[in-house]
Amino acid sequence: MRPSLVRQILLLLGLAFLPAIGQALYFRNVASWHQPPVDSGLVSIAQAKSWGDTVLWVDARPEQDFARGHVPGAMLLNEDEWDAQLRTFLTAWSPERRVVVYCSAKSCNASHAVAERLRNEVGLTNIYVLEGGWEEWQKRTP
Amino acid sequence: MAEAHSMTRARVGGVLVNWHLVVRRVLAVLAGAVFVYAGILKVRDPLQFANDLSNYRILPWSLGVRLAFYLPWLEIVAGLALIFHRIFAGALVITGTLMLAFIGALVWTKMLGINVACGCFGAASSNLTFTWHLVLNGSILGLLIFLWVTRERVNFVAPVEDSPA
Repeated sequence: MRPSLVRQILLLLGLAFLPAIGQALYFRNVASWHQPPVDSGLVSIAQAKSWGDTVLWVDARPEQDFARGHVPGAMLLNEDEWDAQLRTFLTAWSPERRVVVYCSAKSCNASHAVAERLRNEVGLTNIYVLEGGWEEWQKRTP
Repeated sequence: MAEAHSMTRARVGGVLVNWHLVVRRVLAVLAGAVFVYAGILKVRDPLQFANDLSNYRILPWSLGVRLAFYLPWLEIVAGLALIFHRIFAGALVITGTLMLAFIGALVWTKMLGINVACGCFGAASSNLTFTWHLVLNGSILGLLIFLWVTRERVNFVAPVEDSPA
């Protein structure tokens, strides 16, 4: 690599560093620097199972994943076909039910996104995200 | 060679225009704008981007959250360098490396069977499928490679010589 090219790369890396430091300082009391922020809406499989029939399971994965296997009784509700699936979901939902949303694994984002939309856009309460998702469910369910 | 060069030039309103040069410059501005746009989307919500990076299961949170504050600004700075054609080769290397990293991470999560939000364009890309993400990122990488391969041939400083009528 030519020296001038290395200098250019270092210059750009350095230029980006300045505003990044500024923003990080601005967020220093907001960001969780050492571990992910705890999601208060997370629920473990054992806890969700203990709620019995009051749970309305929501599968936030793509339709083809849902077709391959899902939590018994779960409804499909993902962001791909949100409007159509939401109508079906609302026919099954009632205020006394707890909604537990899951996606493929612990680190997937779809369940959090769907849970957030149900809380913020639809205005529902008692919305939870299943810790570990479908991957954990399969491990813990014979 | 001279004949080939003359084919790329045309007189527009009395001005001799090198169309290859114009096309390359437009493509560079386009590529730069994509990175500036992607960077701005992430700068607006660095904690969401930190979450997106964490979902890839490649980096520990403590490193990912720091990168989430740095990478968007790197995209913006490199994107501006592409747009204004300054520090151009360095910007191409950085943006190309970023694209390779994003594509590698996407393929990695697909191999792990994890359905994650890409985070490439913040919330704007959260509804894109894996294939579309790959097509989009691959196209941008292809564009950057084209700009890299042709960069030495573009001489923006030397005047374009007028050919005899």
